Amino acid sequence: MKYILLMSGTKAGVQSYLAWSQKDRDAHMAVLQTVAKELTASGEFIATQGLAVPHEAKVVRGEKDGMPITDGIFPESKEFLLGYWIVDVQSPERAYAIAGRLSAATGPGGLPTNMPIEVRQFATHPQPK
Amino acid sequence: MKYILMMTGTKADFDGYARWSKEDLQRNVEFMRRFSKELKDSGVFVATEGLGWPHEAKRVRAGKDGEPITDGIFPESKEFLAGYWIIDVESPEQAYKIAARASSAPGPGGKPGNMPIEVRQVLGSHADLEL
Repeated sequence: MKYILLMSGTKAGVQSYLAWSQKDRDAHMAVLQTVAKELTASGEFIATQGLAVPHEAKVVRGEKDGMPITDGIFPESKEFLLGYWIVDVQSPERAYAIAGRLSAATGPGGLPTNMPIEVRQFATHPQPK
Repeated sequence: MKYILMMTGTKADFDGYARWSKEDLQRNVEFMRRFSKELKDSGVFVATEGLGWPHEAKRVRAGKDGEPITDGIFPESKEFLAGYWIIDVESPEQAYKIAARASSAPGPGGKPGNMPIEVRQVLGSHADLEL
């Protein structure tokens, strides 16, 4: 079963991440790299990807005279996708356990961020009517 | 440059979609298939995925003992990811143009859905954040 683990945050949340010390960021990345290595070893790793900072985000809606209609206006509460992990696991519980590990990755001062991770299955299973 | 094009919607939007007629759904799916094929033929296609229904979504946080704390409680305004495409293009403008095509996918009655598509650059590595 393939699951996507989504990390998201508001612009304010991203600003505070950008203000972390280099040491805190390195420690955080080290945890994520360990998780990636473990998932690769267990055969569950499919992909991980980070996204650019939200101030570059655009929303496109239709087109006029052959040109896309583009704007970058989002509500302040908008949660932007920061990055994701795709895993292939035996059960939803395993996906939640991996998400728990990502959520426990350290933040400022070496404390777990406890960041919420949204866990979603890919639409390969029959959809309800 | 890699970009991700994301379709999102609230639970209410998904409920609306689930009520589309079979004909409308079929037209939309055909468009999506054709669209993905065009992306492949033009060499910009990297990946596409559709996600399961939002009522199956869970939110996980780490507990004190390392056990995951799971709930499925989201605000009503929460926008859920419905699906995405990743494309590899020459410029942001090209990504916006492709997003506009996706936005024009037919909705009920065959009219363009004009669904908003969020366009974000995908990082090659964490170093691209230039911290």
